[in-house]
Amino acid sequence: MASLAPALEMRGMTKLFAGNTVLNGVSLSAAAGEVCALVGENGAGKSTLMKVLAGVHQPDAGEILLDGQTVRFHRPADALAHGVAMIYQELSLAPHLTVAENIFLGREPISFAPLGIVDRREMNKRAGRMLAGYGFKIDPRAPVSRLSAANRQLVEIARATLEAKRVLVMDEPTSSLTAHETEELFRLIRDLKARGLAIIYISHRLEELKRIADRLTILRDGQVVYAGVWGELSHAEIIRHMAGRELKEIFPARQTQKGAVRLRVEHLTRAGKFADVSFEARAGEVVGIAGLAGAGRTELVEAIFGAVPADSGEIHLDGARLNVRQPDRAVARGLGLLTEDRKRTGLCLNLPLARNLTLANLRALVRGWRLERRREREAAREYIERLHIRPPDPDKTVGRLSGGNQQKVLLARWLFAASQVFLLDEPTRGVDVAARIEIYRAINKLTEAGAAVVMVSSDLPELLGMADRILVMRRGRLVVELDARQTTQEEILRYAAVEEGAQAELEVAVQHFELTSHS
Amino acid sequence: MSDWIKRFLPFVSLLALCVVIAVLEPRFLSAANLASVARQTAVITIIAMGMTLVMVSGGIDLSVGSMMALAGVVGAFALANGAPVVAGVAASVLAGAACGLLNGGAITALRIPPFIVTLGAMGVYRGVALLITDGKAVVGLPPRFGYLAEGNLFGLVPVPLLVVVLVALATQFLLVSTRTGRYCYAIGSNVEAARYAGVRVAHYRIIFFVLLGALTGLAGAIESARLVTGQPTAGEGYELRVIAAVVIGGGSLSGGQGSVAGTIIGALIMGVLANGANLLGISSFTQQIVIGAVIVLAVTFDAFQRRRLETAAL
Repeated sequence: MASLAPALEMRGMTKLFAGNTVLNGVSLSAAAGEVCALVGENGAGKSTLMKVLAGVHQPDAGEILLDGQTVRFHRPADALAHGVAMIYQELSLAPHLTVAENIFLGREPISFAPLGIVDRREMNKRAGRMLAGYGFKIDPRAPVSRLSAANRQLVEIARATLEAKRVLVMDEPTSSLTAHETEELFRLIRDLKARGLAIIYISHRLEELKRIADRLTILRDGQVVYAGVWGELSHAEIIRHMAGRELKEIFPARQTQKGAVRLRVEHLTRAGKFADVSFEARAGEVVGIAGLAGAGRTELVEAIFGAVPADSGEIHLDGARLNVRQPDRAVARGLGLLTEDRKRTGLCLNLPLARNLTLANLRALVRGWRLERRREREAAREYIERLHIRPPDPDKTVGRLSGGNQQKVLLARWLFAASQVFLLDEPTRGVDVAARIEIYRAINKLTEAGAAVVMVSSDLPELLGMADRILVMRRGRLVVELDARQTTQEEILRYAAVEEGAQAELEVAVQHFELTSHS
Repeated sequence: MSDWIKRFLPFVSLLALCVVIAVLEPRFLSAANLASVARQTAVITIIAMGMTLVMVSGGIDLSVGSMMALAGVVGAFALANGAPVVAGVAASVLAGAACGLLNGGAITALRIPPFIVTLGAMGVYRGVALLITDGKAVVGLPPRFGYLAEGNLFGLVPVPLLVVVLVALATQFLLVSTRTGRYCYAIGSNVEAARYAGVRVAHYRIIFFVLLGALTGLAGAIESARLVTGQPTAGEGYELRVIAAVVIGGGSLSGGQGSVAGTIIGALIMGVLANGANLLGISSFTQQIVIGAVIVLAVTFDAFQRRRLETAAL
């Protein structure tokens, strides 16, 4: 069945959202039996490109060809009908159905055709055979809600292999898998290649890509900046293409004097999440917190902020005890939390930019009972200017801004609230490079003005570039404090991951951070 | 552009409706008829002002019909026992506020959805109203009390209309020009985001339910004045008319949206529809069908808008 045309070809894909060009003439092709790696920074357009391919979004220009034939996908079902399947990053299984029911959803084996009765036994048998064949140890009769995140991911993969006749898109499929499960997945990918599928594999773990990729496409700011055979570029060159600049340009230099202790945390404990955490942050200082996913970093800052209070331990702000059960007290005392999940706990998406920006400090705009809206707009304009928020429109619905600009609005919220201690949880996740640099500059200005910053990040170069000290958390405990000028990514990872017999975990972690290691 | 349509569509619909009815039946525009439309919609509109606060903040209250009856009979008892008119009205307002506090308190303390709590409260308040009156109307109210519903200021402006205007102005000020109003939208738009921004969410949610209760009590007093008795069976089905007014006016069942002007227009659309249908001799059966269809159309439009925003937000 070898044909001359590639199994999949996307030509000149262009997509605009609310006037922003998210994809600008992107072309991508993948031949049958090939793995095409797709990499790029967050916000580069990878997910949008794949959603266009899956029929979720309609392109504003460009065409999709399958085996040389132009196709148009108006909805996800059209893509599936053409054998184009996708494994989404966000899981999309029905939690109350069983594994087998999820895998066969919409194509259940039927016994007694006229009545359409689902042959449950046959379905379980086939699902079981399929999972075992892939090397996944999952009971087909188990309800999905009882599975671990990793096993859900595997079920999702199994389902997609049933749907994919020509093209399979995998978006960060290993993010929740262990090293062993990743091995099983790679074996499956080799099988799928042999079956003649074209696979598009999105990942930022270059070590992983090295083992399976045949081709490489790099996206930056909605454009293809490199397309070629895997192996032509070194890892460092790939990173440079993705970022569009050298790392030392990204982290601006800063001169600050360390002052008095602003935040002191003593023996903070929340059962099952973190235990006996003590540290302090001084005026003018950036304290980084590193750790693997699940180490308790987000839970720690949420406890300091009072969003999900700790069970025991003490928090002191500027020398006085802070007893928080809800964030309102923390906010009133000058604490600000830039949340990890800006859509869930950060923004009121359908409200205007200005209202999101001023929400934490309306007190400053009130005279008597009256909220002075003119002053609100002035304040919003001032921060739009300072952080270069685009578009510079205080009335713009905040949900229509790009991720980077949304993040700047949230940072501006705490600047406007005149916070003195900033808890930043993954401050640049899903943020493009230009916005990142502006956020870093804003952080530096804060510390120069005497604020204390606690920064949780999974981006090690970011921690090394921004923090003065780096605290490493492992399984809910603070294991070491490192001087950011002296330490290395390897050292941080050793502390973050190593525990007796946990070598495999370390390997995954190293792969995870490999991308960002430079030199 | 679409925001513009969203803002003015209800108003344009109301205007078109009035024009059509006035052409078919010129009596519609007579001062007497317009005054009667105002009187008929006053009770619903006053409750709907409070419901706008609750729904913008992401809540709902199904108990307002029963609550109005309970507050009405409480005020009627006071009046029947010789209390001055002002005290009788105050008794109704306080009874309503107490019911609102109970609703809001249960919702925030027990962490149960407003829909469920107020569905239960709907039965409870009606039951209490029937129990304390033994199912019979409270009679013997002073004739002066009727002024609240039937009187005209300067022999021209119906008193209930005046009350509506004052309540609407106050609600508008609260919603648009105060911190409380700002928090109302923020809580309805994303309750977790509001909490993480330091908003005392439970505190404000209770305030909105109490305000709705107080306004429902006020409406109960006007209803009693209209009937010159305290009726424990008053206000049946009002909750749905009130919610419909908010929704037709651009409010959203999922919170974060809605306005005083929109809700007034929503209430007027329903009031004018009913009045026009009566004038034209259309049966009340047909009226129900039309009003039902209008509600579904309004919500469809709202859902359509929401989807557009979500797509654009990606």
